[in-house]
Amino acid sequence: MVFSSLTFIFYFLPIVLGIYFIVPFKLKNLVLFIASMLFYFFGEPKYAILMLISIASTYIHGILMEKYEKHAKKFMISSIVISIGLLMFFKYTDFFILNINSIFNVDIGLLKFALPIGISFYTFQMISYIIDVYRKEAKAQKSFLKLATYVALFPQLVAGPIVRYTTIEKELDDRKHSFDEFSNGVRRFVIGLSKKILIANVLGDCINKFNLSDEKSVLFYWIYAIAVTLQIYFDFSGYSDMAIGLGKMLGFKFPENFNYPYIAKSVTDFWRRWHMTLSSCFRDYVYIPLGGNRVSKLKWFRNILVVWFLTGFWHGAAWNFILWGLLYGVLLIIEKVGLLKILEKVPSFISRVYLLLVVMIGFVLFNGESMSQIFENIGGLVGTGNVPLVTTESIFYLKNYASIFIIGFIAATPLVKNLCVKLKEKAPKVVNVLEPVVLTTLLVVCVSFLVDGSFNPFLYFRF
Amino acid sequence: MSERIKDVVVTVLFLVIIFGVFIISTIVKDKEVSTAERRKLNQFPNISESLMSGNLTDDMENYAMDQFLARDNMRSIKTFVKLNVLLQKENNGLFTIEDKIFKLEYPLNESSVTGISNKINNIYDTYLTENNNVYYTIVPDKNYFLEDKGEYIKLDYQKIEDLMRQTINSNIEYIDIFDTLALDSYYNTDTHWKQESIMNVADKISTQMNFRDRITTEFELKEYGEFYGAYYGQLGKNMTPDTINYLTNEVIDSAVTFNYETQKEAKVYNTQKADTAMDKYDIYLSGATALIEIRNEKATTDKELIIFRDSFGSSIAPLFTEAYSKIYLVDTRYIAPTLISNYIEFNNQDVLFLYSTLIINNSGSLK
Repeated sequence: MVFSSLTFIFYFLPIVLGIYFIVPFKLKNLVLFIASMLFYFFGEPKYAILMLISIASTYIHGILMEKYEKHAKKFMISSIVISIGLLMFFKYTDFFILNINSIFNVDIGLLKFALPIGISFYTFQMISYIIDVYRKEAKAQKSFLKLATYVALFPQLVAGPIVRYTTIEKELDDRKHSFDEFSNGVRRFVIGLSKKILIANVLGDCINKFNLSDEKSVLFYWIYAIAVTLQIYFDFSGYSDMAIGLGKMLGFKFPENFNYPYIAKSVTDFWRRWHMTLSSCFRDYVYIPLGGNRVSKLKWFRNILVVWFLTGFWHGAAWNFILWGLLYGVLLIIEKVGLLKILEKVPSFISRVYLLLVVMIGFVLFNGESMSQIFENIGGLVGTGNVPLVTTESIFYLKNYASIFIIGFIAATPLVKNLCVKLKEKAPKVVNVLEPVVLTTLLVVCVSFLVDGSFNPFLYFRF
Repeated sequence: MSERIKDVVVTVLFLVIIFGVFIISTIVKDKEVSTAERRKLNQFPNISESLMSGNLTDDMENYAMDQFLARDNMRSIKTFVKLNVLLQKENNGLFTIEDKIFKLEYPLNESSVTGISNKINNIYDTYLTENNNVYYTIVPDKNYFLEDKGEYIKLDYQKIEDLMRQTINSNIEYIDIFDTLALDSYYNTDTHWKQESIMNVADKISTQMNFRDRITTEFELKEYGEFYGAYYGQLGKNMTPDTINYLTNEVIDSAVTFNYETQKEAKVYNTQKADTAMDKYDIYLSGATALIEIRNEKATTDKELIIFRDSFGSSIAPLFTEAYSKIYLVDTRYIAPTLISNYIEFNNQDVLFLYSTLIINNSGSLK
């Protein structure tokens, strides 16, 4: 099930909220756990048990680590091996088989398992929990229900943000519910839903049109590249907004995941603003344990490349994801050895264009189905393959999606947010009247798009 | 409004909407069909079956979409937002110019065009000889008549004609009807042509096929009623309905149709069926069917005509009634060509292949 569906908004959510707010506090975690399992079961019945087994393994290892402190490291490694083993088996086995077949010219059969939804996310959360317990930054959770609620919590289960156990440890025991938090949650949820339905899905439709077209042109390649860049951002950040909003409704404070990444002036800055919960996890659980930057320059670069190889590989079991990660690793190294200083000195227009071009090329790489298609899509931007500059078709689609591009460009900056803040300072009562009107209108419009069965993919299901 | 009151209002509004829709949807009886969209609506899924097949999420969402409260109004909101707020050029692939609805049909699928030629050639090779007068014609969809200002994309109709000329058996003669039609020949809210506007087409075909002189009785125009076409339902926008008319005379009135699928006879213009049908266009030969025959008891000839056709054939075939003792209409979307000989004895019939560019560009739907 996805948040941007009628089933979730008008069936699942009212039932869960109704029961959740009726039952006494001591039963709220149980309600959330059952709801989360149903949420998962609804879309992926056979893998619900796999998730429960993973949680049970992490739970037992956590308890054992505290009980047998001398062997804590062994238990930590054992837990991580099990978690990563399951992830590797279900997500990466076919990738390795394909590569072995290709290199050694053999024909090993593929397993062709469907990817368990959210496995990359919940595996990361369980590893972060077990490492935090090992580091004594968190106490092992004695209640299986609470640990299972943390891992399976439906707002963040399938696409993050990656919530660390320490972030919501206290909220699992005690959390407050208020109109203030609930209405903030509604606002975030509706904004996220709008990003997803009104921008990302419409751009997804544009990308489909490009993929189906036999009349590519330089203009169409650019439309595609910009559409992909905006779609991925609005799809993922929209989903994160919805997750954070749902968390607030239920009394949880999830970490922010995006901070207007497209206004960054360098790749270094971009990754401080994009998928922040993932970046911080890789920093704290991989980069720093490897020695971070407090090692020789060569090892420092190695550490960066290891982290970005893993970041790419985490996103998908395919070479384009690995190359996408390594592209950022290399760019970060180049920035650290000198480019960053140059970028700080040049006019911000230039550094922004640099960043946007790099990110756009990165997402064309990220979004490609095959390497040949990726090279074609990147080459098409500069007119390779003898494609015309424009075609009637590309002009038509440019006009058709022009408003969405403009809305996307504006919404990717803090302009609207800053305007709202200023307006609220000057006329708070007006803003307070407008807010419910705008949110209700957006909700109704989003629902109207869903009712008409609009294109509604969910990009991060594959991670 | 204070911050506190605003928070309460936002919370209450949200809860009222999600709980309200949930409760009303649970209470209100599910609808069987959508008149506007002319289709059966999804019903509540069998949970265990959907779960076992792994389709529970999709089945439930399809049900929720189809049975959503005030679905038609919600679809209108979406259409309004897309066309008037976001200023997009199309919604669900449909766009309007003044009071006419058009559907984007793009790009040209060349393999589909050669595909339909091959299918026509196969039928010719299997059933027809030099004793048959065999013709084909291409019905342009109404986008052909859009002024070419580069505003909208449309098929390369010249290329379709050229491809078909190059690939169809040279014994099959082409009848070019493009210049006998105009934008007003088509319904505003539907894909089809209006029967009262295709007399020129009928003239051109009958002249080229040498049966024009056997049509002598004048036609009388009769109004059937309001007609909301297929595009109307797909677009989800309030528009003025079309009027559906039919051309008849004493020959057509006395003729009967025999439907090989239902094994039933009916009038050429089946007003009884159209009264209850979701698609009023079913008035012509009772709508889509695999094989139907028009029997003209008053015929002064024993000549027969076989029309391999799509839905455009339903409204033009009655205009040929007087010229033949029997007209067979074969729709190979619903019957495999290999089965036709079970029902039609091929001898020296006239034969016409009549397909619209919409089918020609999507010929995978033909068997």
